[in-house]
Amino acid sequence: MTVEPFTLPIARPGPTMFERFAPGAWRVFIGLVIVAVLMIFIAPVAILIVTSIRPASGIYYIWRGTEFTLQNYVEVLQQPQILHAMFNSFVMATLATVVSLGVTVGSGYMLSRFTGRIQKTWFATIYVFRTVPYISFVLPLYLVTTNLRIYDTYLGLLLPHIAVHVCFFSWLMKGFFDSINPSMEHAALIDGCTRWGAFRRVALPSAMPGIAALSILSWLWTWNEFLFALILTGQRTPMITSTMAQFVTETGTEWNLMSATAVLAMLPALLVTIFGQKYVIRGLRM
Amino acid sequence: MLLLVAPAALVLVCFQIIPIFIGMNASFRDWSLVNPAKTWIGLKHYRDVLSDPVFLYTVLPNTFMLMVSSVVLSLASGLGLALLLNKPFFGRPVVRTVILLPLTVAPVITATMIRWSFNDQFGVITNLLSVLGFPEIGWLSDKWPSFSLIILTDVWIWAPWFTIIILAALQGLPREPFEAAQIDASGKWRTFTHITLPMLKPVIIVCVLIRSIDAFRTFDQVWILTGGGPARETEVFSVYAYVEAFVHLDYGKGAAAAGLGALIMLVVGIGLYKLVNRLMEVSR
Amino acid sequence: MAEVILKSVGKAYGSHPVVHDVSLTIADNEFVVLVGPSGCGKSTTLRMVAGLESISSGTIQIGNKVVNDLPPKDRDIAMVFQNYALYQHMTVYDNLAFGLRNRRVDEATIKKEVEHATNILGLAPLLSRKPFQLSGGQQQRVALGRCIVRHPQVFLFDEPLSNLDAKLRAQMRIELKALRERVATTSIYVTHDQVEAMTLGDRVVVMKDGYIQQVGTPLDIYNRPKNRFVASFMGSPAMNFINVDLIEEGGRTRAVAKDLSIAVPERQVASLSGHGNRSVILGIRPEHIHLGAPAEDLGTTFRGELTVTEQLGSELVVGTKVADTLIMASRIAPETELKLHEHAPFWVDPKAIHFFDSKTEAAIR
Repeated sequence: MTVEPFTLPIARPGPTMFERFAPGAWRVFIGLVIVAVLMIFIAPVAILIVTSIRPASGIYYIWRGTEFTLQNYVEVLQQPQILHAMFNSFVMATLATVVSLGVTVGSGYMLSRFTGRIQKTWFATIYVFRTVPYISFVLPLYLVTTNLRIYDTYLGLLLPHIAVHVCFFSWLMKGFFDSINPSMEHAALIDGCTRWGAFRRVALPSAMPGIAALSILSWLWTWNEFLFALILTGQRTPMITSTMAQFVTETGTEWNLMSATAVLAMLPALLVTIFGQKYVIRGLRM
Repeated sequence: MLLLVAPAALVLVCFQIIPIFIGMNASFRDWSLVNPAKTWIGLKHYRDVLSDPVFLYTVLPNTFMLMVSSVVLSLASGLGLALLLNKPFFGRPVVRTVILLPLTVAPVITATMIRWSFNDQFGVITNLLSVLGFPEIGWLSDKWPSFSLIILTDVWIWAPWFTIIILAALQGLPREPFEAAQIDASGKWRTFTHITLPMLKPVIIVCVLIRSIDAFRTFDQVWILTGGGPARETEVFSVYAYVEAFVHLDYGKGAAAAGLGALIMLVVGIGLYKLVNRLMEVSR
Repeated sequence: MAEVILKSVGKAYGSHPVVHDVSLTIADNEFVVLVGPSGCGKSTTLRMVAGLESISSGTIQIGNKVVNDLPPKDRDIAMVFQNYALYQHMTVYDNLAFGLRNRRVDEATIKKEVEHATNILGLAPLLSRKPFQLSGGQQQRVALGRCIVRHPQVFLFDEPLSNLDAKLRAQMRIELKALRERVATTSIYVTHDQVEAMTLGDRVVVMKDGYIQQVGTPLDIYNRPKNRFVASFMGSPAMNFINVDLIEEGGRTRAVAKDLSIAVPERQVASLSGHGNRSVILGIRPEHIHLGAPAEDLGTTFRGELTVTEQLGSELVVGTKVADTLIMASRIAPETELKLHEHAPFWVDPKAIHFFDSKTEAAIR
């Protein structure tokens, strides 16, 4: 069978709609989009920061006024409850991160290297528990912690946090170890390491970049967490998010003070965004 | 080696699995926070929740509306942003840094910022809009404006997440199919719809699955922005359960609502999972 | 169905040049193979013809049109990529039809063209499959089909067989050869495999470090390499190179190294005379070194210690040590009984002796 060759209509590299309309218009359009994107993501943060350094009266003059002050921060930091809450959140985020990573580094490694029924069950469990809305086990956790007399203590908030992290993190950890070629560990075993030594001296260092990214995100997630803090803590162990929320939803008018508090609570996020973006991006891509 | 999983499993069982059963137990009892008797009343709470017009006609539609609109809008804008960031331009590193803000700042603070920016008297954006001649909108006093604000906040938070993941996927795509498409005379739009999107499909599907599940349990933004108000009109499922248990102090009803939510999500989750698996097979 | 003319084509990334001054005229329906080690600029040259890389200097002409500023789609070329570059989410049929649909060819013609191509390539039963359901060889055939349906002026191949395993590669090589008979089109084929270059090309272009080393028919390149690089790159096992001094001895010029003295054939004496008794490089392909003694005295015998033998079944390849130089000899009868570390006599076919300048490495003819 032969087919006669035919000539193909050749598409001319014609100008696009924008180029025909006005040369360079497309670039201007993209430029405007970029500016708009920047505005959208910076504006709320900027508004908050500006409000936090305006005097109480300043917030009523939205466009005018050149008065700026750090008085709000002084006032906020004089409130023991806020300092206390920030301290608590710091301790909680650090503890939860250290413990969850410590626990899941082992389970993740095991899930990665020893395949079988347990692994499958574990994945199903993780998937199922990711679908369970937090409220559905935090509500009962309130009863559990009250009965165990750990309601409104570090422990009472720490354990639920770890429980939530455990599923998810061990799955991520499994991913880290999956990407490390086990033949390195086999070589270590042949070179005289024990199984434990092969894990600690070969696999673990290779997984470190991922673990570092995860630890930063884990810290931030715990610091930022609200629902657990709202339900499982009270006056004795306030967290920064639940304290903030009280400010906003109940007293609700002293926006200059509220903004100062919010900026303080946002500091870790800002620091991580500026100095640790490599880790955030790596962590989110996991 | 099994011992390595033991601590993880133990915490999981004690603080996630057991509480779920305790919650189920509580939902069958008259376990009001002020009544110590805790009488067994069977399915009454479930009947209450399912016959509560607030739950049926406000909470459920709101929850799914938030879920769908947040996921769709974040995906669309996140994808657009990813395509923009995939090309080099002046200031790209700045944009890439800035879009990390929503992902690192606590949702509670984000909601506070939005609430302040849209404050009906002193909000910068409210005032900007009125200066620009838009009609006055009671952003936090009417149902639909409040609900739009909730969606907007959710999109602000999650669009960058889609961007980062899709951007990573874009940069990982092989170059050759695009070169082949160039030789095949495929235009920019056609290359996007016929080559880029299909190649991104697996990533997008997984993102949508994860986000849909998470969007169902949204609590922080709603609680801070509107508290479910005005008049319970913007309540979503998590807020409803919380309000029943801790505001109306009817713990059993709250637990029943929470249980129902878990059940719905289990069904939706399994459904989505199956759908995803099917879509993945088709898209291969 | 057009000539392709490259005039002083160059490519540089910033100040880093990768292709220098490549000039080449490819005749209508000619099949030209660009061959060279990785990084020699062969792929970049091909991609400049395709329009996937911009051209830093010089011009490229396809047919009678300078294409420097034309996008790939307007150059009327088709390309086969190393990893096939099939559209993974489209069926085989859609993969083949994509380029035609973009050019607004009507569906009836597309169907006819696709059928034509699939008949040639034996893809007919696979039309509704997707690429991931195909074997490597089948995927490569689809990639070829994508070119055939378009009836382009030029086919471009960028190492199309290098992702296949050795056996399949040999088979596809033969299929490509057969395909050339059925679909005659000007073709440029890039490979690092000298066997593909030898078997497929009407002409072969050997490249190194961005420069063309030699252009010629496969046999020409094999028998008359222009320099030491071309000589060593083409042929396996590779040509033996021995540093020798030219010494006048009893009225004959001899190439002499330690424990080795080879009479220079008469026809080469003249061209070598310019080199006085400077040292030059002697090049002999392994298949021109024979075990034993020649029927008549040619003055090209030497003895060496057997240090390596490679039994290939069809032939025996022997490595022999002369002083400190390892000299390979091939095409020795496989049944030959040899003992390692014994000394054995060899002789060189005087018709196949090459000399290269030891400084410029250019062939001395």
